[in-house]
Amino acid sequence: MKGSEDGLGSLEHIVLLAVMRLGSEAYGMMVRREIERATTRDVSIGAVYATLTRLESKGFINSFQGEPTAERGGRAKRYFRMTAEGKGALRSAHDIILKMSAGLKGLQST
Amino acid sequence: MRHLILHIATWLLSRLANAGDRESLAGDLTEEHAALANSTSPSAAFKWQLRQVCASIAPLVWSRLTRTAWISTLGVALAAYIAVGVVEFTANWAIVRSLAAGTGTYTPLELIITVPAVALIAYFAARLRRGAAGVLGVMMLPVVTAMMLSGAEHMALWYRIVYFVVGPAAAFAGGALRRAVERKALASFPHP
Repeated sequence: MKGSEDGLGSLEHIVLLAVMRLGSEAYGMMVRREIERATTRDVSIGAVYATLTRLESKGFINSFQGEPTAERGGRAKRYFRMTAEGKGALRSAHDIILKMSAGLKGLQST
Repeated sequence: MRHLILHIATWLLSRLANAGDRESLAGDLTEEHAALANSTSPSAAFKWQLRQVCASIAPLVWSRLTRTAWISTLGVALAAYIAVGVVEFTANWAIVRSLAAGTGTYTPLELIITVPAVALIAYFAARLRRGAAGVLGVMMLPVVTAMMLSGAEHMALWYRIVYFVVGPAAAFAGGALRRAVERKALASFPHP
């Protein structure tokens, strides 16, 4: 599923949820770890950054630079935070899933 | 040696990322590599980082390509150019088959078929990317010129002049038509 100009693609959806879950700790590698932990899906850091860039260009997240640290070779982290538009996009994607799956049997995980 | 390989691979990968993401991407990889080297082994951490670098190339390149608007415009114009080529080839083939042998392939009929087709293709190209019709017209100019020069002995002068002017002009006209349709649609949209 590709993301349209205003909608969310499947990876965009997952990354946005990870940013929301991580709150103030959302930076590239943490987002990747969170996806891997929650979905057991192996996602590359490049795919995460490409998706974060796309989400930022859609206005669903914004970013700011953190302080450089020694364990990162003196490089700074880039933190991501969800915007009100991002929350709205997540809500409407969630509504669609709920409406489309309402009344369907066999979707509950055992 | 491993350290050098990782350093070069990470640096190359960070070049593919957004300018604003380069530092953080390289830092993320370094941080995770250090954590893995402590919790597992340096060899496992090395393999992990190398795998991450390899798996990250395609999404970063794709992201870069799709973010660059001119590449999309050029891609649409190129696809439109191929479509023009297919129409021209088909028209030529159909004319040669239907007309008596020896009539020659460069007839007004081919222009009558090809020119509106070029305009139509340019119209649809401009629907996908606004500037694609203009790029198509510009792309056609040198190719039409080369074609005219190489096949000059087979073509009448009037045909060469008409083809040279009308061909690219049809592409520009298709783009202009699309803009006119867009303007009309915007004008008919009710303002609050």
